[in-house]
Amino acid sequence: MNRLGGKSNSGEGGELPERFGTEFNSAIKQVASGRFGVTRDYLLSAQEIQIKMAQGAKPGEGGHLPGAKVTESVAKTRCSTPGISLISPPPHHDIYSIEDLAELIYDLKCVGEQAKITVKLVSSTGVGTIASGVAKAGAGGILISGGEGGTGAAPMSSVHHAGLPWEIGLAEAHQVLCRNRLRQKVTLETDGKLMTGHDVMVALLLGAEEFGFATAPLITLGCRMMRVCHLGTCPFGIATQNPELRKRFIGKPEYVERFMLFIAGQMRRIMAKLGARTVDELVGRSDLLKMKADAKLDLSDLIGFARNTHFFPDAKHDFHLSERTDVRLFQDHVHLMTTDRAFGTMLRGERHIQAQGCGGQSFGAFLPQGQQITLYGVANDYLGKGLSGGTLAVCPPVDSLWRQEDTLIGNVALYGATSGRAFIAGMAGERFAVRNSGAWAVVEGVGDHGCEYMTGGRVAVLGPVGDNFAAGMSGGIAWVLDEKDDLQDRMNPGHVQLYPVSQEDAQELKLLLQLHEQATGSKKARDILKRFDAYLPKFKAVISDEYLSYLKGA
Amino acid sequence: MGKATGFLEYARVENPYREELVRLRDFEELHTSQPAEVRQCQTARCMDCGVPFCQSDFGCPLHNLIPEWNDLLYRGQEREALNRLLMTAPFPEFTGRVCPALCEKACNLADDGVTNRDNELYLIETGLEKGWIRPRIPLARTRKRVAVVGSGPSGLAAADWLNQAGHAVTVIDRADRPGGLLMYGIPNMKLPKAIVDRRIRLMEAEGISFLLNTSAGPDLLEAYDAVLLCCGSRRPRSLNVPHQDAGGVHFAVDYLTAATRAVLSGSVSALSAHGKHVVVVGGGDTGNDCVGTALRQGCRSVTQLEMMPKAPDRRTAGNPWPEWPRVLRTDYGQLEASAVQGRDPRIYETTVQTIQTDSQNRITALQTVRLQRQTDGKLQPVQGSGQTLPCDLLLIAAGFIGCEAETLEHFSLSADSRGRLLPPDGSHHLGDSLFTAGDMHSGQSLVVRALADGRAAAREIHGFLKAEKNVF
Repeated sequence: MNRLGGKSNSGEGGELPERFGTEFNSAIKQVASGRFGVTRDYLLSAQEIQIKMAQGAKPGEGGHLPGAKVTESVAKTRCSTPGISLISPPPHHDIYSIEDLAELIYDLKCVGEQAKITVKLVSSTGVGTIASGVAKAGAGGILISGGEGGTGAAPMSSVHHAGLPWEIGLAEAHQVLCRNRLRQKVTLETDGKLMTGHDVMVALLLGAEEFGFATAPLITLGCRMMRVCHLGTCPFGIATQNPELRKRFIGKPEYVERFMLFIAGQMRRIMAKLGARTVDELVGRSDLLKMKADAKLDLSDLIGFARNTHFFPDAKHDFHLSERTDVRLFQDHVHLMTTDRAFGTMLRGERHIQAQGCGGQSFGAFLPQGQQITLYGVANDYLGKGLSGGTLAVCPPVDSLWRQEDTLIGNVALYGATSGRAFIAGMAGERFAVRNSGAWAVVEGVGDHGCEYMTGGRVAVLGPVGDNFAAGMSGGIAWVLDEKDDLQDRMNPGHVQLYPVSQEDAQELKLLLQLHEQATGSKKARDILKRFDAYLPKFKAVISDEYLSYLKGA
Repeated sequence: MGKATGFLEYARVENPYREELVRLRDFEELHTSQPAEVRQCQTARCMDCGVPFCQSDFGCPLHNLIPEWNDLLYRGQEREALNRLLMTAPFPEFTGRVCPALCEKACNLADDGVTNRDNELYLIETGLEKGWIRPRIPLARTRKRVAVVGSGPSGLAAADWLNQAGHAVTVIDRADRPGGLLMYGIPNMKLPKAIVDRRIRLMEAEGISFLLNTSAGPDLLEAYDAVLLCCGSRRPRSLNVPHQDAGGVHFAVDYLTAATRAVLSGSVSALSAHGKHVVVVGGGDTGNDCVGTALRQGCRSVTQLEMMPKAPDRRTAGNPWPEWPRVLRTDYGQLEASAVQGRDPRIYETTVQTIQTDSQNRITALQTVRLQRQTDGKLQPVQGSGQTLPCDLLLIAAGFIGCEAETLEHFSLSADSRGRLLPPDGSHHLGDSLFTAGDMHSGQSLVVRALADGRAAAREIHGFLKAEKNVF
């Protein structure tokens, strides 16, 4: 696709860093609910960052990558552990409203300033309203995904019964965006079983200007629709990591190129018949579509509104990035307010910032290695989102009336963190370290759903935990100081069990606590370190069965 | 699905042939069967493909539900598997023996396909052995009477379907035994005649009547509500050389019929190859059957002439999966000839130029000539490439060119240029209450295609009869 001037999409699984900057680099990088492999480098290598809200073929469902398919290279790409299942949560834990989506778009824009941020939506009635919201939230593009696609791993029931055709969603999105004068702000893309140049022309006339393909190019590479993608036994070496089966792969990039050229050729012929010279002049010209005389459905609503409006670069959303605090920051001390969103994400160079005040949302999001921020104060939701190697420390100001049980940082901290450290000298909100796959963190208490869907890294909790702790956690270790001895009741026992902290782990824990004490001056940590041997039996290690067997094997 | 990784763990294992020099001593079945454990490994190889090409148009003409019964067989649910098989396959004991298994070539495992044919044979034979196959007598009868002319595969398939639909079916055949080519065309070692008889007895028990030694005429149209002609494509293609009337020159089907009659009666064939130099013209299945039969009769030598060049060992670029692979196939007769004579009996790109006879007009030798493909695609003899082969028995297995003229005359029909009775709308309906199916309808082809065509014609007849008054 890169050779053709098209864009390939990485999908939600991340991409090997070796590919960044080469011909193999995927132009579109996806950010899905699992945040697998979403590191700063990954985002920086993208021309387009796509936020996948749902999948056309199985809207509302999360994915599940069975442990057997997580080989060394897959684990590396996804920043996880070989052999351990990966579960994508059905929702994005940092998106519960359109404002949250706007926040994520803003965060990603701060990382990849040059990249276009697009949002993948699913064809449905009412998608026009959602699309308008997405356009206002600052997205550069909207993808309307139809329900006819789906890989061989999508459940048969979903393939047959879920999702709507892209035509319906696309027509509605185009019409609503036009009516609200938002259409020129965004590009509109569609996918979901586009197979021929004719399909592409229909999409074009209904209002799309970008088109996504998956099944058809796969077929050109030798896919025979076995529907075993999830089993790792693809006999044609496509959806498998088995080296024997991969030898059977017969595809070549040239096949995809040729297929796409045929698509373009067919499009060109149809356009010539319509007397059109450019694709732009046909976007949204649904008046050129005619209903069949014997049509059983009345489709006049799809084609009754024709506006030739398309993306216009000057109408792009302005994020005012040059006015950000971290861009204009020359000294290493700063006072923050809640309006300073995603503080630190645009810092350049190796720096240690001392901040005070109230950190806005997404404090220190995607912070890279070599950068450290110490915040004397509080922070809003999404602290350390996608942390990529940086160090965050949050502690209450020494002279404040702050009490131990007061919440210091908001919800969903360290969501999708891949590496780095976070030291929180106080209580965190709900869903602390959700989908953490490599960051090490210390916190002095968490709300409900702590360490949910975690796949790697270490989390030490020195205080109370909320309900449903470690739900869907398949990897990593959480050490919890269980002073009230009620952790067993608080955690979700679906994947994990409690163990005493082992001898080696105790050393790691001690080191982590020392770092915590240094970074935040935490009294609690100091107390524990003073009488570490006495405290140690009160710590419980929360480990998933799969991860335990991996550790034993390693 | 059988087993997700079955195709990686187990190799394809076919039912083996009996050893050449042993099986040549008799006309008994070629293949041996294998135990249930082997079947389980072989069915485990089926991958339950999202798009099962084996049951597509590239694969089984009957659209057998192959992945489903493979899976049931793998799980040991043999009876359910058999029932699933019988939903679409009328006579698995025939196709399990003689089908070239298009499904296995269209299998996603390509040249290493699942052994569907052997699995099918195992299922039906197990079912017969365990008494699961009983006469299925229709619960209700219509008042309609159907005559099926010809008791080959298409006729039997149609008769079976129509009988199950409740119509009274009479199968008429001019031969002394029913079965058509199943009985007298295919040699006993490939399809034992006891197997054919077993099926016929079952069909009789289900209420089908067989009228043998009877020629069909247009009077049938008066006596029956519908008549289905399944008379095959029996007119053999002859050689374009003089002296074809010489003694010792026979068409393959006549030779094979005589051989099977001799096997059934335990006597010596009237056209026996014993002690003769045999030359078979034609490299197809029939030619191979002639080779195998001649060897069993004790011929002195056997040679097979093939006009086409030797096929490649692997698929060519122009012949991709899932098409039928046009590759070199060495069948049982050729293997036997190699074992006896030390070389493959086939000579490629060669045909007969002249037949040499003695004073009593009996064949003594053949003059052959090499053929070469010209740029226009036609085969031309190469000058000076003549060769003389001793020959006492010349068997012509050069294919069939359509239905016999007398049958057409009887029913005042005319065939198309390729000898077929193919109505322009692609149906089986020839007009009035007359229908056709099988090779007669669409030209010479496989048993399994005849079965599919017979069933399709039966469905048409059923629709035709239902549209009339007084069905029940």
